[in-house]
Amino acid sequence: MSQTEDKYDDHHDGRSDATPGGYANERRPGELIFTLFLVIVSAILLLEAYGISGLKKLSSPGVIPMATTGVMLVTGLIILFQTVRLPKVATETIAKDILPIVVIVFVAILAGFSFLLKPLGFVPSAFMFLVFSIKFLSRRNWAYVLGLSLLTLVGIWLIFRVVFSVLMPAGVFPEAELIQFFRTLFAGAE
Amino acid sequence: MENFLNFFTVLTDPYLFLMVGVGTFAGVYIGAIPGLSVTMAVSILISFTFSWEVHPAIALMIGIYMGGVYGGSRTAILLNIPGAPSAIATAMDGYPMALKGKAGEAIGVTTVMSFLGGFIGIFVLAVAAPFISDFALKFQPRDYMFLAVLGILLVGSLSTGSLIKGIFAGALGLAIGSVGMDPLTFTPRLTFDLTFMKSGISFIAVMIGMFGVSEALLQLHQVGLPSIRQKIDRIIPSFGTVKKHLGLSMQTSTIGVIIGALPGTGGDIAALMAYDHAKRVTKNPEVPFGEGAIEGLVAPETANNAAVGGAFIPMMTLGIPGDAVTAIMIGALFIHGLNPGPMLMIEKPDMFWFIVGALVVANFFMLLFGLTGIKFFTKVVEMPRSVLIPLILLLSIVGSYAVNNSISDVYWMLGFGVFGYFMRHYGYPLGPVILGVILSRLLDDNWRRAIISEKEDLGRFFVGVFSSPLSTILLAAVILIFVSQTPLWAKMKSRLSSAKNRSHS
Amino acid sequence: MKRIVLGAVAALTMATGAMAEGYPTKEIQGIIQWGAGGSTDTVMRSVTPHAEAVLGGTVVMQNMTGGVGAIALNYVADAEADGYTVLMGAENPLLYKVMGLGEKDYSDFIPVSILARGTAILVANVDAPFDDYAGMIAYINENPGELKLGATGPGGLPSVITAMMNTVEGELDVIAVPFDGDGPALTALQGGAIDVMPAVLGAAIEGIKAGNMKPLAVFDLEANQHLPEVPTIVSFNEGYADFLPWGPFFGVFVKQGTPDDVVASLQAAYHEGAQHEDFVALMDGRGFTLMNISGDEAQSFLTAWQQNTAWLLQDAGLTQASPEDFGIARPAE
Repeated sequence: MSQTEDKYDDHHDGRSDATPGGYANERRPGELIFTLFLVIVSAILLLEAYGISGLKKLSSPGVIPMATTGVMLVTGLIILFQTVRLPKVATETIAKDILPIVVIVFVAILAGFSFLLKPLGFVPSAFMFLVFSIKFLSRRNWAYVLGLSLLTLVGIWLIFRVVFSVLMPAGVFPEAELIQFFRTLFAGAE
Repeated sequence: MENFLNFFTVLTDPYLFLMVGVGTFAGVYIGAIPGLSVTMAVSILISFTFSWEVHPAIALMIGIYMGGVYGGSRTAILLNIPGAPSAIATAMDGYPMALKGKAGEAIGVTTVMSFLGGFIGIFVLAVAAPFISDFALKFQPRDYMFLAVLGILLVGSLSTGSLIKGIFAGALGLAIGSVGMDPLTFTPRLTFDLTFMKSGISFIAVMIGMFGVSEALLQLHQVGLPSIRQKIDRIIPSFGTVKKHLGLSMQTSTIGVIIGALPGTGGDIAALMAYDHAKRVTKNPEVPFGEGAIEGLVAPETANNAAVGGAFIPMMTLGIPGDAVTAIMIGALFIHGLNPGPMLMIEKPDMFWFIVGALVVANFFMLLFGLTGIKFFTKVVEMPRSVLIPLILLLSIVGSYAVNNSISDVYWMLGFGVFGYFMRHYGYPLGPVILGVILSRLLDDNWRRAIISEKEDLGRFFVGVFSSPLSTILLAAVILIFVSQTPLWAKMKSRLSSAKNRSHS
Repeated sequence: MKRIVLGAVAALTMATGAMAEGYPTKEIQGIIQWGAGGSTDTVMRSVTPHAEAVLGGTVVMQNMTGGVGAIALNYVADAEADGYTVLMGAENPLLYKVMGLGEKDYSDFIPVSILARGTAILVANVDAPFDDYAGMIAYINENPGELKLGATGPGGLPSVITAMMNTVEGELDVIAVPFDGDGPALTALQGGAIDVMPAVLGAAIEGIKAGNMKPLAVFDLEANQHLPEVPTIVSFNEGYADFLPWGPFFGVFVKQGTPDDVVASLQAAYHEGAQHEDFVALMDGRGFTLMNISGDEAQSFLTAWQQNTAWLLQDAGLTQASPEDFGIARPAE
């Protein structure tokens, strides 16, 4: 129990803003690249913000974006300056502590899901997502995975599609026809 | 007096009583699910209750509103994923308590405090609505701007680690908020001439991504570990606990009512401001903030529920919405043949007292449903992570799509989820990003309005500020907090000197 | 006369309405251009249930905001032209082209029904040092660059009214303070952040009745029945008659290319729905003029509205591109 508690209490992953990740006096693997990325993004954004309206008037639509992206660039550079000078954490590697394979696989699954969402429709793509991800994480047998995925999907579909009428992309699954079928069925029964 | 009797309408009509109860129950769950929002639920109810009488329709909406604002705290405490924007601050001390197995206690305190805050909000609505709405109307664009700056200064207390990283995160949030077509001039801003960027980045998508997806990705590291068993035997906080925090809860409820009553600001900002206030005034918390301080739960939860009563103040007295939900309720009143506006209180005072009565009943139902049904929630959290994580991710995707029926919001949400994951790892706080997005429009629009009103002349602007007591007080508060309360200069100094020391050694 | 035409159109659409057999076989998506709680949203959510009853189908309404409504418009334009995706919008798309906000407008759509039209009114803060339109103009001339006039961005109702005033009275030296809608602007007006605001009557009527704001002039040819004591703008200056009546409107549209029988079914449904007494009462209460037109009549209304407004804005120098570039002819004098 104490071991798991230690694991949960591991602050270096940044569980919340009150317990931020990283180390005060050491640099985590990949931190320098991330900081560099932030500085480059800030610079590009500042350039784009300048392009909005230049600095014609105090009330130009570009004034606040320029101010905020300017602050991003300055603070980004300060952070970069600080980070460069820190020693690397000796015990951590990217593959183990920052981007383990399970996270990379999951991001890939999510990307696949979101790109299939529109052409294929919500119901089939979400089902595939659930099956893949639950199978991948739980390694249980297919009956468990398929049953649980179907149950979860039906629940979410009922709440969002039927109760809250959120029209997720329909794609290949004829859900509007299905709903109409039930509607006529109930109307006929009355 | 005769009109006041309408206060009891909800209590005496079992059907209306039931409607408030059903609404509050549904609201708690709607609020708890990160993808479902009260705004969404209430706007769907407009069509759903179209053919109803006005009373049950409003009763149902009020129940959902009250329950929903509270419900956001559930997932914030149990999963570290705020179910609604107003619960962002709640996660900061609620989740650490859940990690210690004290989720039951956290939920209990949250519920009782939400009830207390909700009640103060309703009380102010009932006795001082015209007074407060007159005060809210006095806010000029420059005052809203100062208020936004005050909000941005919260970055100081939201960034426990590196302040400079917090400032970066806050500025990033402000920049995210300005992406898209500028609503005042229709100039595309930070869009890189890309069509999908013109509609801007939905604030809910950023929030779900940063808090939901990044948390789920982070929990993948621990997928094999067993869930934490929650003790749920002691839920109702002792009278001593409540009494001890009564003073703080009065202060934070006041913050909630006022911020809620101001058109354009709502429970989300109120909760963060209240958290900041609690951090300032609580000198010696039993448990440090961020590790499960009760004060960190009391402040945001009293404030966001007090903001509910606050939001009704301008709606009932002037027909001006106090937030997004009351805006939709105004539409609902119209559809039901009422004309919300300054005349409503005069022509239909019974409606005012009916709404106050419904809010009181909803508040009691919230207490009831908040203190029961905790077992179900903890069961959900004790589900194996291999099922819970895909479920959270699927809800995140559906929820971000549902905000505006837009697939690009889903991409933004996932993008910010991955980005937030790295931010967490490298010690960047996420709260300031959300704070920046929420405050971006408030700051930007009102800055421009204020300076345009003064013919682009900073001199005239300051003459205007100092000729108004309200503006002067707000500016003084900004300067005071910036210089003394926020340890900005002190931190910078110590950082500089420590940097010097390092370079010397 | 108008009534007879309306009746004839109604009879015609009712007769053809029965032709669309098997429509609708599934639920219809109604895409509302503006956010929940706004006036477009209120109008659509209150007329649609009556239309649904006639249609015998379900219309699921969704708010799709962003890009001054262009996001919703493009969404419907990209969907199938089968009548299962319906656009519920306001007047703004007719100005997208000249304002550089998009390449599509209502010419890519068939009007199912133009439901109602609003009337503009000029209101002032109660403490403003004038009580009517003439007083305001005198004040502006005596204090150039001091009056704060509310605005809601290019193409919005205030910009059109301001363009009218500049055209008729000559360039007015005022400060235009931008807001993101007439609701927030009217709130600011009551708080004294702005002095005068051109708004739609329905948004201001309750505030006027309560004495929280002063009406200066109604932008119409005749006095409004809800505020009969407020003078019309033409009573101050005849020059406005050229541009009036003018007002924002609400309409339901389907994509160009939708089968005729489907369009006819929808037109019949909305036509009858808009006649429901609850809806008529609602529109009246909010100060909207019920129109309930479709077919050629609606088409010619749209064309005239677009010509008038686009050229008005063009002459006031507020457009991004000339109406000529899009084949929008200058209205006949």
